[in-house]
Amino acid sequence: MSFRTDSPVPSAQPFRRLLVANRGEIAIRVIRACRELGISPIAVHSDADVDALHVRAADRSECIGPAPATESYLSIPSVIEAAQRSGAEAVHPGYGFLSENPEFARAVEAAGLVFVGPPAAALEALGNKVAARRTAEEVGVPVAPGATLGEDDDVAAVERLGFPVMLKAAAGGGGRGMRRVDEAGQLGEAIATARREAQAAFGNGTIYAERLISPARHVEVQLLGDRDGNLAVLGERDCSIQRRHQKLVEESPSPAVDDATRAALFESARRVAVTVDFHNAATVEFLLDADGHHYFLEMNTRLQVEHGVTELVTGLDLVAWQIRVAAGEALPAQVLNPPRHGHAIEVRLYAEDPYDGFRPTAGRVGAWRMPEGPGVRVDAGTEADTDLRPEYDPLLAKLMVHAADRPAAIARLRRALDETLIGGLQTDAGFLRWLVDEPGFAAGDYDTSLVTERWGNGPALTAEEQALVALTAREARVAGPAARAPQARPEEPASAWGRLARREALRR
Amino acid sequence: MSELEVRVGDEVVEPVDGWTVEMVDAGHGLARLTDGRRSVPVLVEGSGSDWVVTLRGRRIPVTVRTWRERLMAEAATAAAAHAGPVTIKATLPGLVVALQVAEGDEVEEGAPLLIIEAMKMQNEVRAPRAGKVIEIAVASGQAVATGAPLLRLE
Repeated sequence: MSFRTDSPVPSAQPFRRLLVANRGEIAIRVIRACRELGISPIAVHSDADVDALHVRAADRSECIGPAPATESYLSIPSVIEAAQRSGAEAVHPGYGFLSENPEFARAVEAAGLVFVGPPAAALEALGNKVAARRTAEEVGVPVAPGATLGEDDDVAAVERLGFPVMLKAAAGGGGRGMRRVDEAGQLGEAIATARREAQAAFGNGTIYAERLISPARHVEVQLLGDRDGNLAVLGERDCSIQRRHQKLVEESPSPAVDDATRAALFESARRVAVTVDFHNAATVEFLLDADGHHYFLEMNTRLQVEHGVTELVTGLDLVAWQIRVAAGEALPAQVLNPPRHGHAIEVRLYAEDPYDGFRPTAGRVGAWRMPEGPGVRVDAGTEADTDLRPEYDPLLAKLMVHAADRPAAIARLRRALDETLIGGLQTDAGFLRWLVDEPGFAAGDYDTSLVTERWGNGPALTAEEQALVALTAREARVAGPAARAPQARPEEPASAWGRLARREALRR
Repeated sequence: MSELEVRVGDEVVEPVDGWTVEMVDAGHGLARLTDGRRSVPVLVEGSGSDWVVTLRGRRIPVTVRTWRERLMAEAATAAAAHAGPVTIKATLPGLVVALQVAEGDEVEEGAPLLIIEAMKMQNEVRAPRAGKVIEIAVASGQAVATGAPLLRLE
């Protein structure tokens, strides 16, 4: 059912080899785009990822160091060396890791390779969130009232904003280093924690404060630009369902955005983008208040986790276009002004326990059954019987659905989640399955507080659920060793035949 | 084995009548519950008396015990009630980034003890009960595995 708006194959091959400087699902996503463009994909891996799925998906893989990301996926010299060793002509950074690091972009270009992303100067100008806020203000894009916290903790300036306020890392993004502060008394401790997290995560302890917009929707605009200065505004995504200020669910179009608001959002996004010499993919994030006013949050100069939602409604392959514009191709008319069809929703499957504050649940994935069928796309970074690495992000897979309208997309998502089975550890799938039946979500009536206000730690088990799981466990015990956990009993080839026979019998 | 007792959480639960369980992939615990009209896919993992059933994305621990296992478990619970010092262990692998107590400190229940960074998140470890910190087994900057002893409370 997937449609393509653009010509899927460029007339000339953009590159012969491309290094994918990432891991997990996004590395596989970029590898797939390379394959379709006729480019040989080269993966990188840390010692912990020798057997990882993304390594096997690539033509070859270069080892870039030990398990900790700081010594491998975040090591600029290791990645550059791997690119040169492999004969790659270009480097795609994915998201996270080095994707928004101007020093990395410069090092890639200095090594005579093409960086698949915006120019280093754009990463620099927009990477500092305090500077980006100022830039947005200068071009007439609204921002929430704010204050920067210098070395001497200018608490008074923050207090003048009025509580509650949000503390954020200047070098941050992706929700990390963010702290809500409700009253002056909590400010000192919150500043210390926010600084420590910012220092640990970004190597820069500078933070700033913004007056809290509440209730708020988180809506972002996808941009794609070429080296000739053409800029495509590819629609918005609503990312209001979050925990710890990090996204769990994204959809396009946003149920909270009417045509006038959409036009205003697009105009603001365009204004921010043209302040820098920009090409490639980026996203401008906004908060939307109850009256439909928008406030600039930040501009992410990279591919977003949730880019697939936009791909589904526009029929464009954003990753392929990132690579093509990096190679110098100009965006054609159908990309600059693509039609938008239907409704797309993405849910992120995380190794987290939604019944315990979305705490990460490291461990081993056992069963792994992903949904299929019409209008369903799964971008996964793991598979059955795989240890999860505590060093890296707990994102297991992204499940996306596309349908003619929002009710059909929700019905499709419910069906797809019912087909999804992940064993070995708790994931947020229980929350997501609850969400598709939540009346507010179905009505499009929700904001960034949904997880805290309506989910909490999840509903109590119903009597029916208890009786069903009681039966399942009792029958599993009575059935004996055939129903043991996968970790406890490695499979002999003989049992695979037995399973096959049983499945065949069930099909009749 | 009709006298098997099934508990979901702390509650004894009567398994539902009229439904059957079909194993689809026993190796991974994939099964299908059906009452002849509807069907629900489930996952069942475990062995002996300890099971986890995943229903609509939620992992639900279930204990299935014989009367003998019940008696033994009750005896073990009674013994634990008299226990002395408690060792606090890491519930996830990560890096100790901050110690918030020192040996000899008296702490309240729920007091922050230390912070473990795992999967890019700072996780605060809190005191499960009030007591005195009698031993700290880790240092700031140290990597810990799941189950590693962190400190002891008396």
